[in-house]
Amino acid sequence: MSDSRLLQPAPAPLLTLMDLVVDIPGRTDGAPLNLQIRSGQCWGILGPNGAGKSTLLHTLAGLRPPRHGGIDLEGRSLQRLPRRRIARLLGIVFQDHQDGFPATVLETALIGRHPYLRPWEMESAQDHQAALKALRQVDLAGMETRLIATLSGGERQRLAIATALTQDPRIFLLDEPTNHLDLHHQVAVLDIVRRAVAQGRSAVLTLHDVNLAARYCDHLLLMYPGGEACWGTTREMLVPNALERLYGQALVTGEVEGVPVFFPRIR
Amino acid sequence: MRSKKHHVFIISCILWLNAWLTTGTAGPVAPTSVQVIDDRQQVVSLAAPAERIISLAPHITELLFAVGAGDRIVGTVSFSDYPEAAADIPRIGSYKQLDMESILALQPDLVVAWSSGNVQTQVERLAQLGLPLYYNDPQDFEQLALALERLGTLAGRARQGQETAADFRQALQMLQDRYGSRPKVTVFYQIWDRPLMTLNDQHLISRAIEICGGHNLFGDLEAMVPRLDREVVLAADPEAILAGGMGEDSPHWIDEWRRWPALTATARDNLFFIPPSLLQRATPRILEGTRLVCEALETARSRRPEASE
Amino acid sequence: MNRLALVLLSLLGAACLSLGIAVALGSVPLTPAETLAVLTGGGESLHRTLILELRLPRALAAFATGGLLAVAGALMQVLLRNPLADPYVLGLSGGAAVGALLSMLAGLGMIMVSGAAFAGALLSTLIVFGLAHGTGSWTPTRLLLTGVVVAAGWGAVISFLLAVSPTTELPGMLYWLMGDLSHAHSPWPAWIVLVIVVLAALPLGRSLNVLARGPLQAAALGVAVRPLEWTLYGVAALVTATAVTMAGSVGFVGLIVPHMLRLVLGNDQRLILPASALAGGILLTLADTLARTLIAPQQLPVGVITAMLGVPVFLYLLYRSR
Repeated sequence: MSDSRLLQPAPAPLLTLMDLVVDIPGRTDGAPLNLQIRSGQCWGILGPNGAGKSTLLHTLAGLRPPRHGGIDLEGRSLQRLPRRRIARLLGIVFQDHQDGFPATVLETALIGRHPYLRPWEMESAQDHQAALKALRQVDLAGMETRLIATLSGGERQRLAIATALTQDPRIFLLDEPTNHLDLHHQVAVLDIVRRAVAQGRSAVLTLHDVNLAARYCDHLLLMYPGGEACWGTTREMLVPNALERLYGQALVTGEVEGVPVFFPRIR
Repeated sequence: MRSKKHHVFIISCILWLNAWLTTGTAGPVAPTSVQVIDDRQQVVSLAAPAERIISLAPHITELLFAVGAGDRIVGTVSFSDYPEAAADIPRIGSYKQLDMESILALQPDLVVAWSSGNVQTQVERLAQLGLPLYYNDPQDFEQLALALERLGTLAGRARQGQETAADFRQALQMLQDRYGSRPKVTVFYQIWDRPLMTLNDQHLISRAIEICGGHNLFGDLEAMVPRLDREVVLAADPEAILAGGMGEDSPHWIDEWRRWPALTATARDNLFFIPPSLLQRATPRILEGTRLVCEALETARSRRPEASE
Repeated sequence: MNRLALVLLSLLGAACLSLGIAVALGSVPLTPAETLAVLTGGGESLHRTLILELRLPRALAAFATGGLLAVAGALMQVLLRNPLADPYVLGLSGGAAVGALLSMLAGLGMIMVSGAAFAGALLSTLIVFGLAHGTGSWTPTRLLLTGVVVAAGWGAVISFLLAVSPTTELPGMLYWLMGDLSHAHSPWPAWIVLVIVVLAALPLGRSLNVLARGPLQAAALGVAVRPLEWTLYGVAALVTATAVTMAGSVGFVGLIVPHMLRLVLGNDQRLILPASALAGGILLTLADTLARTLIAPQQLPVGVITAMLGVPVFLYLLYRSR
């Protein structure tokens, strides 16, 4: 990342969605998305279950084709970029983790270096340092030799984030990064994301917690169950009416430290 | 690459064989070379009669003993149990799984293989290693007699081979003359119980039945050892049932048929056990088995209703 | 890096030792001095034939076959992300067996039998992957299930062929099905395939490590998943077909060797693949030596030995690893 890029008044978009319609199996509706994700931005995706949040993230990562429209990564069509090149620019943390074979924590974090290594190349000391640093960031230092099968759900989730940090991409796509995490680690993980964004990366995360989204995201994309969507800055989007319609749930609104907070209204 | 290697191999085998032939003829007794045709119609020639023979089947061991060459067998397969002297011969595996090393270590000058019993690739390997091979697989009685003559010749017992073969032919002819034109008895020959198996006309046993004036009801089936459903046998209603077996005492196979008293063979008690070693091996002992078959069928004829009138 | 070299070097040493044992032992007892004399170019002519024309080619064939089977198993386990995957489970060797038995029934020579076995393995590959691929979702469970069902189908065809085949062909067929190295002609084709596959798989090793984490994760980390999976399956089919052609159906090597190595060495494919080639070779060489000598002069099919050795060792390791 060069300094000149940071100094530009309006940073070039990292990810551009052009008339993008996500292909959700069994669904034919869906509003086209037209938005740009720039470096230094943190986008939160909010929506009820089944609205297609994960599918959108997978589509943005180029892991499934869109039904319509296109995605540009740094100005080039995502469809035409080789996977290896995509993997250097874009990292994704999935909701589920497939662990078919036993592996240690360090090995799992180290595979984040895969996109940078040539076929014959072994991981260097630097790669190890990067992985160890990422493990420290997610509070997994000292567990390098543990088998992943012995980790708790939260530890496994933090390890997945450490792998993405080791991958060191320009854009982080995080699918429910706070899943399985206790409150402290939720904040810790989102702080890591915030630091990365402050350094000129960008992040797109799906979240269930509106209030965390309000605290950490500068932009929001609301995906409605009917397939409609709207997006904008967090301030624009956090309107009680919009959120109530989004979740089909009446809300109580308040304000803490100048940030709006929302709670479900309980009869 | 393989074929080239193969050629080199064959050439080296020929050279080896040549060397061996020349040393053979240079022996002190100056023996004469012998030459016969085997059951694959290949010429087998030895510079001198074989003195170290390996037999790859129990019946081949018997044939060699029958022509007086038993003392020249240096190795044979398991289940070579006849004559008693065969028990002392070193074993070189079973007929379907040969131990190449033991065979080579015995340094044979002739290997007699059983073409339909041995595993072809293993026998081919022996040929590749330069051992002279004679393939034996008698399909009828004449081939059995010829095998006696030929093995006799190869083993330097030509006269005894010819005499044994002549005796064999003569004894068979006598049985044929005596029983061959007797009224036909329909026969089911049971070679195995579960599954129920019989033999078709390509097999020696079917010929034996024919010589005795019998008719193998399932001789026309395509497979040599067809598996049958019991009801097919009931429908065919044989006049006599002949049973072999694994050991020498399998009368329970016969008892099985007593469950169907309507069966002609059961009704007339024409259920006969013929010791399998006397009938199922292609050796001169098959004469004895054939004689038993002839007697059984003659008994069956005597039990016909018209015979008792 | 050091560990990789250390493990491979010690396995290489064990490999040489196993070949040495295979050459020194046989149903004809030879003294070490006599064996050594032959290996250094001297010795009696009988001893030379025994060692150079019987034992050495067979030991080499056993080694290459074992290596191929273990590598095929290791590749398929990564491909399906399931430690139970193995050429036998997936129906590859069933297809090969049907091809081989059909050509034996037709009375064709050994080279045609080999070719037919090869064609059978490839056909089985196409059927299994084609059917599992069908509607687009290519999950390991679906593949494994398809493979198991196809394998069962081949099993039925094999039984049918055995039931209708003339009794004269039966012994050869049965021994082929049980796995038997006495059929092996020249060990070199298997060696060539083994060396090429292991060398070609090494640069793919890290991609395989990533693939073992699931296709989505692998794609996200820059692996071209679909091409890699097809390559893997093709290579595994080629390797299995070569092995089956050499020795008939030898089971358990492909399942047990990679699994045992994983329990001991972890799951880095860059180490597991070459280690599998060596350990599989060692296992089958020793198993075949046992098959030749255990109840000599009677010869056992090597598949019996691999099963009798493999099953308890596997169960023990599985028990201990918990």
